[in-house]
Amino acid sequence: MLWVIFTITIALIPQALSMPVQLLPLIVLPIAWRIVAELRGWRPMPLLVRIAATAMTVFFLVMTYGGLFGRRAAVSLLTVMLALKLLETFKVRDARIVASLSLFLCATQFLFSQGLFMLVYAASVMLGALVALTLLQRRDAFTGKGTVPPSNHGFLQELGYSTKLVAMAAPAALVLFMLFPRWGGPMWGVPESALDAKTGLSDSMAPGDIQNLFMDDSPAFRVEFDSPIPMIRDLYWRGPVFWNFDGRAWSGAYYSRNVPAETLPDITPDSIRYRVQMEPTERHWMFALDYPAITPNRSRVTIDFQLLTRPITRLRSYDMVSNPDFVDMPELKIILRTSALKLPEGYNPRTLELVQEWRDEADSDSEFIDRILRWFNTEEFSYTLNPPLLSQHTVDEFLFDTRKGFCEHYASAFTVMMRMAGIPARIVTGYMGGYHTGSYLLVRQSDAHAWSEVWLEGRGWVRVDPTAAVAPGRIESGAMNALSSRRYMFDYEWIRSLKNNFDLLQRGWNEWVIAFGLEQQSRLFQPFGMERLDSTKLVVILVIAITLIAALMSPLLLRLRISSNRDAAAKLWDTFRRKLDKAGINTSAAMTPEELGQAATTVKPGEAEEIGRISALYRQIRYAPDAPSLESLRKAVRGFRAARQGR
Amino acid sequence: MNTASAILDRVFPRERLRTWFLERVRRRRGEVSVPFELEYRNIFVVPTSFGFAFGLMLMFMALGGLNFNNNMALLLVFIFGVIAQLTTVLAYRNLVGITIQEIHAEPVFAGEHAVFRVFLGNAEIRPRLTIMGGYRKLQDCVDVAEQSANQLELKQLGSRRGWLDMEPFKLETRYPLGLFRAWAWFFPRARCLIYPQPAVKPPPLPQSGGGTGDRARKGEGDQVHGIRQYRVGDPMKRVAWRSSARHDQLYTREMETPRDESCELDWHALSGTPTEQRLSILTAWILIADHKQVPYSLVLPNISLPAALGDRHREQCLEQLALFT
Repeated sequence: MLWVIFTITIALIPQALSMPVQLLPLIVLPIAWRIVAELRGWRPMPLLVRIAATAMTVFFLVMTYGGLFGRRAAVSLLTVMLALKLLETFKVRDARIVASLSLFLCATQFLFSQGLFMLVYAASVMLGALVALTLLQRRDAFTGKGTVPPSNHGFLQELGYSTKLVAMAAPAALVLFMLFPRWGGPMWGVPESALDAKTGLSDSMAPGDIQNLFMDDSPAFRVEFDSPIPMIRDLYWRGPVFWNFDGRAWSGAYYSRNVPAETLPDITPDSIRYRVQMEPTERHWMFALDYPAITPNRSRVTIDFQLLTRPITRLRSYDMVSNPDFVDMPELKIILRTSALKLPEGYNPRTLELVQEWRDEADSDSEFIDRILRWFNTEEFSYTLNPPLLSQHTVDEFLFDTRKGFCEHYASAFTVMMRMAGIPARIVTGYMGGYHTGSYLLVRQSDAHAWSEVWLEGRGWVRVDPTAAVAPGRIESGAMNALSSRRYMFDYEWIRSLKNNFDLLQRGWNEWVIAFGLEQQSRLFQPFGMERLDSTKLVVILVIAITLIAALMSPLLLRLRISSNRDAAAKLWDTFRRKLDKAGINTSAAMTPEELGQAATTVKPGEAEEIGRISALYRQIRYAPDAPSLESLRKAVRGFRAARQGR
Repeated sequence: MNTASAILDRVFPRERLRTWFLERVRRRRGEVSVPFELEYRNIFVVPTSFGFAFGLMLMFMALGGLNFNNNMALLLVFIFGVIAQLTTVLAYRNLVGITIQEIHAEPVFAGEHAVFRVFLGNAEIRPRLTIMGGYRKLQDCVDVAEQSANQLELKQLGSRRGWLDMEPFKLETRYPLGLFRAWAWFFPRARCLIYPQPAVKPPPLPQSGGGTGDRARKGEGDQVHGIRQYRVGDPMKRVAWRSSARHDQLYTREMETPRDESCELDWHALSGTPTEQRLSILTAWILIADHKQVPYSLVLPNISLPAALGDRHREQCLEQLALFT
């Protein structure tokens, strides 16, 4: 029974961790009660208490999640109910249900994450469930007898046996995995709130948002380049574009989100070709370098070159071509111009004053822009992770008082200044740079970045990154090096490189296991000359493969020994008998060592001494008070070579 | 039986199906004589109800995995699916090669359970774990260690006197996970002798009948004959403590059975009572006489046994009563 509790506990862990803290007691308390009950031999909880607990729990869940719909809430319900089930799990039947549902729970957890760590989790749940089921079977079988004789296996043997089962199942399971026909798309809908709010760029940007992302080393996406890799400082991965400013936060515009791009860039020989493997974000944006020239399946490019698709709920790979030399919108429509100049009234008076003064002094837009960037560069502006909080006039306070900020502060301030000066400007968020692991580029959440785009007559939208003026290192070599201090304790270089290496594993896992789908499956046999496999062919191959494996495994299985609990001396004695058998001496299990020794000696007088010695040793080990060590018998048996009879 | 199960029974007459199935198997294979080694064609493997439920759960998991294209969930399903399939082989393997060495049952009285001991031998070098046995319902479970034997005890109600044939029984194992059961049915040629049920309130023992000799039998009995010096081996309860205390030496009471108490249990003495009841009364008398250590003789219409005492005599008498026709 403890095994069942152990299994369910392991199975509950990931869900428990992602549940709101106030729900944790609902899980911990039943488990704790059940463990104590097991150790103390308590009776099951009275029915009324169980019903009350269940009702209360459902009430809490509804309160917390506002209903029981949505995947997270449903899985939470399952989790808590399973934990409560422990209160009445005393019979084999209930225990079996709990052990099986632990597996089910484990599978539901994969909806939320399929990382490598989940592999460890899955393996422990699997082994736990197997051991639990084995022991339950035993308990069930012996129910009528009252007592269950101790199984021959100890804790480790049980575990070993279960591992063996998994190992034996692995080949066929892998074949099934590869060849079992997949579905192209979901049969029923995937609700948009499938995942937890993932970290990642969101559809609005307030000071501090990207800074939070900067603490997160988890991968955002990975890129494999087919063409030469551009310089790190040119790797601006374009994501959400923001037009509307309310004095504090930036958000997207309806128009820009819904109007498609007028013209897509041409694909030129200089275009960058690459392939992106994106982690799930639950959001619409796909990331591409400026400017995406093609649209992957089920996606579209908006007028401000955001690449949008359905919410990305699982790992997604897409091919991309980008043309960096494209001129975005040589003519600015009036409606776009208006929204690219709009500012809330009455904010940031000091900035407005400065801008108007400089605007009058500047001859051209670009001269004005240069002056501001220079100002950022020469004045005491610093790039920091811990900027002071800003209140109402965010830009004023930032530019004149605190002067400490992260990329979003600079991008925001710069864009506001541009708009004040009458230059259409917008904010682009996305990722900047990445870490090259050798075979691919890894872009992490901590590479999130925000920059500005201004529209200049004749040049269209031009990217201006004010952060580059303040902290050029951010652009040249990544965000990590732009900061003088560590982000948090344990933020050391070697840990980061460890993380990079781990990502290599994770990527392989992603590529071969998680992203494996209809497409990869149909190309499985390309090397063997079969171009595309439809499901009929797959099933045929599957059946053949499984039959082959079964044919190979069965004899092995039928002969396989369940770890024996016989003592070592008896095993050695058996070995000795087998050796005698081989030499042509008929022995039987019923013979005493002495008889056997005599029988052997009469047939093989040549080895009489040796045979006598071994049988004497065995007898001594068995019966003598001061028995010789097992080792001596082992040596003797190992060393024994009986000559084949008939010579 | 409630209505639901009655309807279920109408749609799916389990009992009849089982009888039909057993009859078919019996006709094909005939009764087995021990020792009998289980072969592949004796063994059937089918899922248990838990196995069905588990399979259903796996199917749901597979559907979900396919729908969301969740490969880890699919992998989990496949591994467990294959393991489940493996356990069919493991269950089979756990049963095949077991030898039924002997089936043996001690006689019991009607109304009691006959206990058939089925001796299972395992010559191989792997243990057979959780081997269950029973007729319809499983009754007993044992492990048979490698190269050893163990016994299953299968109880069967002996309702009528005479020979009780052992019902067809099955050996079953759900090893290792309880998802599948492998079973084998047997049609044994074993039987158990059922003595008549002893009458609850029998008439007193008949006093007539010749004794075994002139002297009262010393040693046993319930009347004190005298006392003598203690000899090693005398039972403690026979020690005459009061006399011993007086004489500072241990004395033992000598007991005797009165001479005339040897009795004749005569079938004809009970004329007027139905046959079965007569047999019951005779059985009860035998037990009482045996308990009181009164030598008794048994007279039946077809046979008469001279007066004697002892286990063997009792068993012979009871057997005659059991098989009386």
